[in-house]
Amino acid sequence: MALLSVITGRLSQAFLLIFVMSLVGFIGIHSVGNPVYNVVNIETATPEEIRRATILLGLDQPVWRQYLVFVQNVATGTFGTSYIYHQPAFGLVLDKLSATFELALFAMLVATVLGLGLGVLAGTRPGSPLDRVIVTSSVYALSVPSFWLSMMLILVGAVMTGWFPPGGRGLTANLLGFDWSFLTSDGLRHLVLPVLALAIPNIALIARLARAGTVEVERMEFTRFCVAKGLSRRRILFHHTLPNISLPIVTIVGLQFGGMLAFAVVVESIFAWPGVGKLLIDSIQLLDRPVVMATLTFTAIAFVALNTLVDLVYVVLDPRVRIST
Amino acid sequence: MSASTTTTPLLEVRDLTLRHNGRGGQTTIVQNVSFTLGRGEVLGIIGESGAGKSTIGNAVIGLVGKSFEQSFGTIRLDGVALETLSDRERRKLRGKTIASIFQDHTSSLDPLMTVGNQLGETISAIHPGLPRSEIRRRTIELLGWVGIADPAGRHDSYPHQLSGGQRQRVVIAIALAGSPSIIVADEPTSALDATVQKQILDILRNLVDTIGLSLILITHDMGVVAAIADKVVVMKDGEIVEQDATSTVLENPKELYTQQLLSAVPRLHLSPSAAHSQPEEPAPILVVENLSRSFGGGNIRGLLGKPSAKFALKNVSLRVPRGSVLGIVGESGSGKTTIGRILAGLEKGDSGKVTLDGRARDISRSGDEGLLGHVQMIFQDPALSLNPRMTVAETLRECLRFTARKEGPRNPDEITRMTDRMGLARTLLSRYPHQLSGGQKQRVCIARALLARPALIVADEPTSALDVSVQAEIVSLLKQTVTESGLSMVFISHDLAIVQGICDAVGIMKDGRMEDFGPSDFIFGRSENAYTRRLIDARPKIFTH
Repeated sequence: MALLSVITGRLSQAFLLIFVMSLVGFIGIHSVGNPVYNVVNIETATPEEIRRATILLGLDQPVWRQYLVFVQNVATGTFGTSYIYHQPAFGLVLDKLSATFELALFAMLVATVLGLGLGVLAGTRPGSPLDRVIVTSSVYALSVPSFWLSMMLILVGAVMTGWFPPGGRGLTANLLGFDWSFLTSDGLRHLVLPVLALAIPNIALIARLARAGTVEVERMEFTRFCVAKGLSRRRILFHHTLPNISLPIVTIVGLQFGGMLAFAVVVESIFAWPGVGKLLIDSIQLLDRPVVMATLTFTAIAFVALNTLVDLVYVVLDPRVRIST
Repeated sequence: MSASTTTTPLLEVRDLTLRHNGRGGQTTIVQNVSFTLGRGEVLGIIGESGAGKSTIGNAVIGLVGKSFEQSFGTIRLDGVALETLSDRERRKLRGKTIASIFQDHTSSLDPLMTVGNQLGETISAIHPGLPRSEIRRRTIELLGWVGIADPAGRHDSYPHQLSGGQRQRVVIAIALAGSPSIIVADEPTSALDATVQKQILDILRNLVDTIGLSLILITHDMGVVAAIADKVVVMKDGEIVEQDATSTVLENPKELYTQQLLSAVPRLHLSPSAAHSQPEEPAPILVVENLSRSFGGGNIRGLLGKPSAKFALKNVSLRVPRGSVLGIVGESGSGKTTIGRILAGLEKGDSGKVTLDGRARDISRSGDEGLLGHVQMIFQDPALSLNPRMTVAETLRECLRFTARKEGPRNPDEITRMTDRMGLARTLLSRYPHQLSGGQKQRVCIARALLARPALIVADEPTSALDVSVQAEIVSLLKQTVTESGLSMVFISHDLAIVQGICDAVGIMKDGRMEDFGPSDFIFGRSENAYTRRLIDARPKIFTH
């Protein structure tokens, strides 16, 4: 019963979000400019050609009708046909999805492992030189703009040393109907720099959270009691401290992961990574309304799904949520 | 118990001095403390907060932080000076030779691990390489030993699924896991209800008597010391005031401080007295009829949990005559705090009738029609009920401003008149809460409640966060205020003796029901209710007359 109500709640939340997003996106795109001029050749097109293209794209209809047509397309799952690529918009997003997904996943893995490690290292030695180094450098890592960070990574990792390629996905291999870079060694080398560019700010974020959590948990009575029980530092760290600091970290990992899936635009553009973020920016520039709307819809779904996932992980991790007696 | 005193005592603390290096320089926390602990002996260390008693316990376990410095003296275990051991060697002693029991059962267990595993990991830390099945067997055996019913079923429970008494039993089981020779128990029962407190003390005393355990019992509660300690060390400001056999200290205290501590303990008088009896009952200021309140399972996050309604209050009725004090006594979970919160308009009632000052009040709503604002509350912890960013004067002025909306402008002089009455120096008005002592803070809270000119005051455990000597001051201040200004009050407490000292009538609550209700001297002297008798019997005998 409870589970059912949670699911219904989440679904209605998702629909509301998608509805609001579609309205905002639709009106926004509509007020930016007329997409017809991106479809026809402005230099040579006759007024008749422009008129035909306008009718073909359905742009001669009043705005509310255009919106209804769009909603209809969403309901049938096609999101309409891209003005530029002449393919179903949703298919385009799906094609880019694997690229974004592997980028975000690897970045989040690196960020979680390194962030947790550094944070716990700092948190168990509050006030020590190591702690100060980690805290201070995390401030820098968080405040550096990502375009600059990406360029520095290309400069050092590609231009100066030549260790990694400066952009592109490299060779891909097919798995489950999608193309993946991580399955080939060339693809893996292409992954390194963009993954780092996405991960570094998140390492800093997670490290700060983990540090704060560790300091708090170490001060708690049960940690002292564990010491008094005669447990080793290692055992206390892995079996008591880590589970107890994991809850806020799971939340932030979920949120950041969603952010990466949708808005890794800067990094994807700089590294010429053909992902969803890049598709979104390109489509906005070309006023390719169906693709923009498909991307935004996907983003909304991804956020709601990740939030639900985070809540489920909470249930698994915290017995106080799981068993309410 | 004195058989082994000719040989080296099990634990000897000699001239122990501990300093703390803080931001404001070095402070001495413990100075020249010496005592011994023999095998099978219970040593009570008693003192008020800040006496340094917990620091001594931590020094024995080896838990004082790096900011502490043992500048002088020695702690010898079986003749071996502990301060000469390495960190590694000291860790080997912990759990195995010196175990500990902490005060707060809600926080000394990891909320994310089953109690069985927390006990099991202690066993495997002491006996590495023991097979899982054997650890489980020993865990269940230990849980049974400390009196947990259905130990095998409880093995996989999480701490939040156990009651306070059960959790503290688990903590004791963990302490016993390594068959230690010494257990340092820091306030092991202060967070527990009186009847549970007695059970836990009985378990500890029983262990001492049967397996020859030695116990250091750190407490602020004379009753606990009286119940099980053989010897007592009385501490004040980091130094020992007096130490002797328990009976000597309790019956013939030599030092003035010990005498003060003892006389501050509220005593229960079981013989009927006419002190509080009133010839005729005036019109009631408050009448509560059939008040019920249930908490129901709308737990959104409990994905797998079943919704279940639980009664916090069930058909509770009571009346408070104008100008009198009603005491509500009960253990945790009895619903006494819920009554207080509903009366103050902080929580809503499901059903029932509340009449305050001759007007029926809407308990399902707050605001003018309800109770909010007409009833003032004094909370348990004054440190938490004062805004830390407001000075005393600001806090009290806010209260005047709030009531001015209803009653028209108020004279600011009322504030100083009120603080004078509360025995607060005027210089304190410009201070912030953290610059006040616990007693001063509670006086500010009382002043705040009175300034609002409430029809009724609800005091929820107003003294239990305070030291014994301060407790006595606050109780007498409340008593004085009641008689001087004809105030009506509901006084919620778990402490029978305090209630007897201040209340005209008493209601005893259990599991959301009013178990027993009557004039104070009837309840304490002649009530035949079994639960009332049990509560009275749970008190240490030396503090009842």
